[in-house]
Amino acid sequence: MELMVHDQEYMSSGHVGCPGCGAAIAMRFLLKALGDKIIIILPACCWSVIAGPYPQSTLHVPVIHSAFETGGAVASGVKAALDMKGDKETTVVTWAGDGGTFDIGFQALSGAVERNEDFIYVCYDNEAYMNTGIQRSSSTPYGAWTTTTPGDEWKRLRKKNIVEALVAHRIPYAATANIAFPEDLVRKAKKAQSITGSKFLHIYASCPTGWRIASELSIKIARMAVQTNIFPLYEVEDGVKYTINYRPKEYPVSEYFKLQGRFQHLTEEDLEHIQKMVDEDWALLLRKAGEHPS
Amino acid sequence: MGEKAEIIIADHLLIPRSSQSTESNKTGSWRFLRPRYDEKTAPCSAACPAGEDIAMIEMLTTQGLFKEAWDTILKENPFPAICGRVCFHPCERRCNRGEFDEAIAIHAIERFLADTAARNEFKSSLEKQPERKEKIAVIGAGPSGLAAAYFLAILGYACDVFESMPEAGGVLRWGIPEYRLPVSVLRSEIVRIEDMGVRIYTGTSVSRDFLSNARGEYDAVFMGCGHSRSRKLAIPGEGLEGIEEGIVFLDRIRRGETDAVKGTVAVIGGGNTAVDVARSVVRLGGKALIVYRRRRQDMPAFEDEISMALEEGVEIRELLAPVRIDRAGDYFTLTVQAMRVAGEETDGRAAIEPEVDKADEIVIQKIFKAIGEEAAEEWYNPAERGKQRLTLGNSVLVHRDDGIVVAYGGDLTNDTKSVVHAVASGKEAAMALDVFFRKGFHAIQQELAAYMVGNGPSLSMETYMKGRRSERNHHVVAYDEINIDYFNLAARITQPRLLIDERKKTFGEIDLKISANLAIREAERCFNCGLCNQCDNCYLFCPDLAVCRDDSLQGRHINYDYCKGCGLCVVECPRNAMVLEEEGQ
Repeated sequence: MELMVHDQEYMSSGHVGCPGCGAAIAMRFLLKALGDKIIIILPACCWSVIAGPYPQSTLHVPVIHSAFETGGAVASGVKAALDMKGDKETTVVTWAGDGGTFDIGFQALSGAVERNEDFIYVCYDNEAYMNTGIQRSSSTPYGAWTTTTPGDEWKRLRKKNIVEALVAHRIPYAATANIAFPEDLVRKAKKAQSITGSKFLHIYASCPTGWRIASELSIKIARMAVQTNIFPLYEVEDGVKYTINYRPKEYPVSEYFKLQGRFQHLTEEDLEHIQKMVDEDWALLLRKAGEHPS
Repeated sequence: MGEKAEIIIADHLLIPRSSQSTESNKTGSWRFLRPRYDEKTAPCSAACPAGEDIAMIEMLTTQGLFKEAWDTILKENPFPAICGRVCFHPCERRCNRGEFDEAIAIHAIERFLADTAARNEFKSSLEKQPERKEKIAVIGAGPSGLAAAYFLAILGYACDVFESMPEAGGVLRWGIPEYRLPVSVLRSEIVRIEDMGVRIYTGTSVSRDFLSNARGEYDAVFMGCGHSRSRKLAIPGEGLEGIEEGIVFLDRIRRGETDAVKGTVAVIGGGNTAVDVARSVVRLGGKALIVYRRRRQDMPAFEDEISMALEEGVEIRELLAPVRIDRAGDYFTLTVQAMRVAGEETDGRAAIEPEVDKADEIVIQKIFKAIGEEAAEEWYNPAERGKQRLTLGNSVLVHRDDGIVVAYGGDLTNDTKSVVHAVASGKEAAMALDVFFRKGFHAIQQELAAYMVGNGPSLSMETYMKGRRSERNHHVVAYDEINIDYFNLAARITQPRLLIDERKKTFGEIDLKISANLAIREAERCFNCGLCNQCDNCYLFCPDLAVCRDDSLQGRHINYDYCKGCGLCVVECPRNAMVLEEEGQ
């Protein structure tokens, strides 16, 4: 596979991500795409830990660790400071988890993109508060076990559709990406970097620890999320122009669920119900993109 | 107000700043599973009697490295142009891609490479071992004898090949029809063997005394005289004038001595000779009827040949055993007994028994016998006695009382009478003789086992010569060890062929050339089971940046200081060229 980017790495070995960490892979690809003329705003998330304990940093670019709810606000401030310095080449990137994006940081994010601040907001999504002990977030999917949705109390609510929420702000660029599709991820990151205004990337990043999966399967499961239509790869320009970037093989959702410990309690009926929801979402996306089912 | 805001640049920011890398954290200590590069054996190469490194050949082809791919074939098989045409390609039956969509057309790519080599006059880059003092006589310049001489020459031995016919090639020259193997193709393959220093004495028959007198002049003899005498039907009327042996008929055609065939002809038998005779009859204007005592699916002839024969209008009458032949004027009456299936033989073919009171008569103008061949002279067959005797996968070695070793190969020893099995026996005998000269007769069997492709019985000369292939794990890659997420369905190429109407009129080659474009596209379908094709997935997906590119042949190595042993690289390797092992094993 060729990513059409330099071989240069912008992070070091020795970071303290779990074995098979999808978020580490996501960061690596993003950095390869964006290069080192960037500043990263890092609200509380797994990556606050992965980046290394003080005084270490695994990243070769400037990072500002910020409070949980402030990803959008700090980025706005940093961008303003760069403007004052006359720095036009540095890209401001907020790198937040799903908790800091879907829940706690949503207000700051919504505010920043409503002002169309010129930055890239990346949410690497591992579908729960992982580094604090796997608590459910509004990104946790229907059917999942977490420590706050344990046993028979598994989450019976839909995952928030964050991309659609951002699209509703009519920002210049919003896209999904997935660690199992690096070419697509790199292309989207570069595209985002070339656009002025607010850009949002929603990157699927598997979590072996929180999802109760074998570490060696974290890419396979990420790929399966796309192939089952659970996590379609698409992009939206200016809040209206939808493009589906990859037509999946449309495997049944059970292929995705059976690989993961967090879904082991689901019955056939549950899976059928989920399949219906996924089909519904996919049909809706096709309509928005003006495409037809295969 | 109105004043320009003053930009305050703090010399000493009052926030803590990180100053060190994380590289001092040796996260490799977390690991309890250890990934490692581990190239394995593709099922096709294990199924190839010549043990060709097919997965590598296809990989080189995709890169447009046709010369290198051709050289890779030559390491294991002297006849890419011949086997690309006439081999029954058992490799394709074991191709893992067959479980995904369709097997790779390995034979078509092999032929393409050989034709490309011929067109561009490639010279092979084979390395020969230093010259040895021992000299070997090869009796018979058929595929097994030529292969033996070729591999012995590679191993540094001087070889004299004796051939009774006026030209070398054996069954390739006098048996297999021109529409499957043009003579020019055969000749150029033989020239390459002669260029390696092998001397071929054509028109030189060898008598029984040769073996007894060989000592002094030769240190070993390879017997590859083949099966050239038709077996008898043993039925009344067999000796009538006008009843011909199929193999003699084929021989006459290849000498250019045949006239047109008129009327309907019966060909008795179900092997490749029978099918070749029937298809030749069609080309000479006759109508051919194959009479076989078992069912079509039990015929030992190769399936592709049978189906092409049917396309060309050959008729197969199955479950009929000839019982007598009578002649009346220009016609023969072939009396046949109907047979029926009664269980199964050990080799999977139908066991048959006569169906009581069901006989029939077939009236035809000519009869060819082709129920199989045997050695033309009894002494061609492996001697039963000697100081030592060893039966290997494709050959038999006899250590004579006078000290020389006689190796027997080709049809004399092989159950499957095919060109590629003949090549396998020549190679096996060459390696066995080399071991004999270096270490003695007792060492042969054990020594050769180390050079098997997969679990054998195919042997690899490249491995024997300690080439890169010797690092390969013998484990044969199974379909479910391939990560099929990385492959898309794609149809196998369709072999372009002469139209059926043209085929019936001429002995011109049926299978036409394929373009480089098609060959590359077909080779790209190959999974390259067990081999690294530098796809870089291990490097790309490593969350710990522990896969490092380097200048080695592997192109990369794992930095175990940081590898946490997550195993992603091993699972994401599309072709099972890596392995994950428990730490400390």
